[in-house]
Amino acid sequence: MIKISVNGEIKELQEGLNVSQMIEALNYKTKGFAVAINTTFVPIAKYEETIIKDGDTIDILAPVQGG
Amino acid sequence: MKSDELRVKSDEWEIGGKTLKSRMLIGSALYPSPANMEEAIKESEAEIVTVALRRQSAGEGGGDNFWNIIKELNINVLPNTAGCHSAKEAITIAQMAREVFETNWIKLEVIGDQYNLQPDPYETLKAAEVLIQEGFEVFPYTTDDLVVAKRLADVGCKILMPWGSPIGSGQGLMNPSNLKAIRKQFPELKLIIDAGIGKPSDAVEAMQLGYDGVLLNSAIALAKDPVKMAQAFKYAIIAGRLGYEAGTMQKREFASPSTPTVGTPFWHQFA
Repeated sequence: MIKISVNGEIKELQEGLNVSQMIEALNYKTKGFAVAINTTFVPIAKYEETIIKDGDTIDILAPVQGG
Repeated sequence: MKSDELRVKSDEWEIGGKTLKSRMLIGSALYPSPANMEEAIKESEAEIVTVALRRQSAGEGGGDNFWNIIKELNINVLPNTAGCHSAKEAITIAQMAREVFETNWIKLEVIGDQYNLQPDPYETLKAAEVLIQEGFEVFPYTTDDLVVAKRLADVGCKILMPWGSPIGSGQGLMNPSNLKAIRKQFPELKLIIDAGIGKPSDAVEAMQLGYDGVLLNSAIALAKDPVKMAQAFKYAIIAGRLGYEAGTMQKREFASPSTPTVGTPFWHQFA
């Protein structure tokens, strides 16, 4: 298991998962969001090839009200 | 009179590759309820609405309800980078927003001071340059500083959004002479007053300066009746634009009668 930070919360995750697998494992919805790892954007096209590493800081963002 | 009747007399305009009728950019935050937001946006007849990205909660439809309402309005979405304090953060948020909202428009907002939410000109400039190279249409939130405006134009910004006064303050236009100077120096750029608008007359003033549009949120959402205030701003922006296009009279130092003096009754010439 590895430890990662997801949206500010520390989570444990199985080692070797890619972004899509992490989203599923953590029970996030499957579309309508965008992902950044260590403040770098990860486009959908790179979800499969991007492996989550121990200590990664992940932000999963969705639409909200804004001015 | 219906606004449509007024609006046809005002010109259509172009911004970010779109031709629009309304010159209002409306925010989607701070309304008493989602239903009230929806009604206010509809009543405003704005064709651009600002939105944001925030952390999603697991296991929920986080943001779905809000986003579905916005999508159904079928107007242009302008995502912002609100809350960012560096160029790096703003660039990442812009890239994420492009994927989620499927638009290359970005309201670039990099805050340099937490007290008055003043934009950081250095980080804004850095981010603008990168984002333009990446194909974004950048709507930069900036101050009324002419040199900063010039630097943003130099890196390729076709749109500038100087503040009227600090975000959410409702103080109106703090420095009309600076805003006027920016308008005069950059006739080819699209200029939007962003932030600080408090009442409809502030919007009229901004439009009379020759600004192309007004972006506002708190002034409508925090009004006692946001729907009615959205209507008030709709008419104010039209009135201000028409006033600008019509050309205002020159101020005079002294009174000058408007009624003809020739033939004035009860007038006698005394020797």
